[in-house]
Amino acid sequence: MNKDHTKILLADDDEDDRMIFTDAFKEVKINTKVDVVKDGNELMDFLKEPENDLPDVLFLDLNMPCKSGVECLAEIKSDERLKDMAIVIYSTSASEKDIEDTFVKGANVYLQKPSDFGVLKKLLSEVIIMNWQYQTSGLNRDNFLLSL
Amino acid sequence: MNIMNFKAFFLSSSFLKIIFTVALFALILIAGISYRHTNAVAESGKWVIRTHEVQKELEQLLSQLRDAETGQRGYIITKDSVFLEPYNKAIAEYGKSFSSVKNLVANNNQQQINLNALSKLIQLRISILDSNLSTPYQINTSVLKQRMLRGKLVMDEIRLQIKVMDDLENKYLSNRKKNLEKESYLTPIFTLLLVFFSILIFLFSFLKINNDIGLLKKTNEELKINAETMSQAEEIGDFSNWQWNLATEKYIFSDNLYRFLGCEPQSFEANLENFLSFIHPDDRHLLIEGTEKVLNEGKTSTHIFRIIRKDGEIVYTKSVSKLLTDAIGKKIVIGITTNITKDYLHSQSLSEMNKELAESNAELSSFNYVASHDLQEPLRKIQTFISRIADNDLQNMSESGREYFIKIETATNRMRQLINDLLLFSKANKAESVFEETDLNILLENAKQELAQIIDEKNAIIHEVTLPTLQVIPFQIQQIFTNLISNSLKYSKPYVKPVIDITCALIDEKAAADIKLLTNKKYYKFTFKDNGLGFEQEYAEKIFVLFKRLHDSSAYPGTGIGLSICKKIIDNHSGFINTQSTLGKGATFTFYLPA
Amino acid sequence: MKIYIKYNITEACKKIVAEQLQKLEIDFSMLSFTEVDLKKKLPVSKLNQLNASLKKYGIEIVESQKSILIQKIKDVITEMIHMEENLPTSKTSHHLSSKLNLSYGYLSNLFSEITYTTIENYIILQKIERVKELITTENFTFNEIAWKLNYSSLAHLGTQFKNKTGLTLSAFQRIINKRRDLQ
Repeated sequence: MNKDHTKILLADDDEDDRMIFTDAFKEVKINTKVDVVKDGNELMDFLKEPENDLPDVLFLDLNMPCKSGVECLAEIKSDERLKDMAIVIYSTSASEKDIEDTFVKGANVYLQKPSDFGVLKKLLSEVIIMNWQYQTSGLNRDNFLLSL
Repeated sequence: MNIMNFKAFFLSSSFLKIIFTVALFALILIAGISYRHTNAVAESGKWVIRTHEVQKELEQLLSQLRDAETGQRGYIITKDSVFLEPYNKAIAEYGKSFSSVKNLVANNNQQQINLNALSKLIQLRISILDSNLSTPYQINTSVLKQRMLRGKLVMDEIRLQIKVMDDLENKYLSNRKKNLEKESYLTPIFTLLLVFFSILIFLFSFLKINNDIGLLKKTNEELKINAETMSQAEEIGDFSNWQWNLATEKYIFSDNLYRFLGCEPQSFEANLENFLSFIHPDDRHLLIEGTEKVLNEGKTSTHIFRIIRKDGEIVYTKSVSKLLTDAIGKKIVIGITTNITKDYLHSQSLSEMNKELAESNAELSSFNYVASHDLQEPLRKIQTFISRIADNDLQNMSESGREYFIKIETATNRMRQLINDLLLFSKANKAESVFEETDLNILLENAKQELAQIIDEKNAIIHEVTLPTLQVIPFQIQQIFTNLISNSLKYSKPYVKPVIDITCALIDEKAAADIKLLTNKKYYKFTFKDNGLGFEQEYAEKIFVLFKRLHDSSAYPGTGIGLSICKKIIDNHSGFINTQSTLGKGATFTFYLPA
Repeated sequence: MKIYIKYNITEACKKIVAEQLQKLEIDFSMLSFTEVDLKKKLPVSKLNQLNASLKKYGIEIVESQKSILIQKIKDVITEMIHMEENLPTSKTSHHLSSKLNLSYGYLSNLFSEITYTTIENYIILQKIERVKELITTENFTFNEIAWKLNYSSLAHLGTQFKNKTGLTLSAFQRIINKRRDLQ
């Protein structure tokens, strides 16, 4: 699919979720490089560091201490350098209103944390593939909205 | 308009002044005219008398001359000096008569001229008489006859002259008479008219004064009654009033104000300082500010302050005052003080209870939400790890281990579902939601789209009508539609295409009252009827209870929370929901939303 | 103030490629909007330079033959769905194989091998994208859009849309509108 691997970054304060996430990607048949950060501040520091490669896809948990996912989303969307990054909200809450809200604020994908590992793998692949489709097929990224 | 103005004018007090002035004027006029008339009559009378006196005197004069003539004649005939008696008498007397006449005609030039002529004639006659008498006895009869003839001629002339004077007098008299007649004719009429007019005016005035007095009396009576009523009302209603005359700087406190302060009525001087002394020190400034305000702006807003009565009891008082200016520009401030202790304390405790209630509600709902939400996290992880183990190590477990493991999985799933539903239920909380004008058709469409897959799978048909636009919480009503349709689909008869009929109708206040909804409101009645399995009507109330189910979870998945959520939402909207069903013949859910 | 933009992607891309080539003073001629004939063979450095400058616009120089074919398949599909007013009524498989002169079976296998998704999926993807485009840029009703893209019914479109994106048509529209209002 890609010559290079897809660079993935996860921001989640929960240790178990981080572990599940990275394990899932290990088993997904896509070439990926996964990094994790523990909270919003670490995320923004990472992203703003010019030496760091920007991830192709950012997975963002909403409920994080200090800086919430929504705050990070807003900051990213207002940063010229960062605003075109694909952003996946990776969260537990499922209220339609909240989901729509994150879309309105600029997220591309909303992924509700599933409780089945197999399902998680499937969803993660779908996200990555979808993102890749957008990148390679000249599709309008503004319309990249996916709710899983 | 003119009549109105006149009436107003009529009733005003300046009218009274004008009337009285006019009346007075009329009276003076009458008096004047009467006086003049009386005078005129008197004058006429005098004239008549005068004329007659003149005539009488002239007659007298004539008579005296005749007497003299007769005396002379007698003497001449008899030569007896006894006949000279009347002659002498007449000569003596005629002067008197003559002077009387002269006096009487003193004002009249014409008569005076006449009189002078007469006088000459009389003198002549007398001289003739005299000459006859003074000549000796033997007179030539022809000389005598000549003299006597001459005498007779003069006498005739005298008579004539007297007649002239007489006639003149008569003429004067007749003129006077004519004038008098004229006077006598006009003046009474004029006077009568004036009198009539005056009477009219006096009548008006009387009526007006009577009216005014009546009004005054009535007003006075009313005032007395009002004052009495006020005093009674104050006692009963537990309020009092005070007045402050700005000009005299005197206060008047009503009796009840004294009782208010715990004192005997009028037991101390009514003034500001004394009143302030009864007010709680912290609140005194309110009264002072209020006083300034009423002086500057004409009225105060309502203040609440505490009064400490003579016996130490604290009374919460509401006070309001107003500045009045009367017709002469006199300013007084009036105020009312009301005892609101009971209401004040009551509303205080009410608002405290409300606050507590709101706080406890908020706590409860946040507890609900947080509990459900936070419970999900570890549960989800449990499920995830379960699934991982299941994927990798299930085969490696022992038989019993596998069995138990599977039961753990099932139980965990059930718990997840319960928590999900609890979360949904707590989200149907009214306080956090906003009512918006929403087209219900859109919500129904959304619900159908959400269930699109299962509708498709079951080949379900949904009949619908156009729904109204109402003031609702959009996502909650959508939830109801989703829940009801989803239920109908879930409990559809196997192998029978589910058909759902949705209707909506506006019902009026009377019909609404029949169903014990809030009266004086119109409602929309929604029905969702399906051809599914139905249930026994005796459970119709039960199914709305939280977690109550009519089937076990293996046959039909679900936690039994869907309908209780529906009920909660309907309650949020001040509506009403019920259901009817026959086992095997489908179910109809009916709910009402205010229009 | 807002203005609404419609994209003619091919024209735009052609122009960009042409501009970049001109900037680097490379002689060229455009064969199609995906094929450019460079008159001379370029050194690797210049090729990389060109690639880098094109990459900024999301345009890439593609190397392998297979990639070219894949791209061609995609292009045909894209053209089919986006360019014309309404979808051609003939089956897409026929349309593709006739346009590219290769059997549908071969195309389909190649496509899945390289892109990990099927042609059908890709078509659906493009259709959904077109739907999104129509929702955001034009004033068509959902019914009209379903008809335009050859869906048998609005329900069918709605279902597919929700399947692919996880959102209902109305939710999508709502989000787009709210995004606009925020800007």
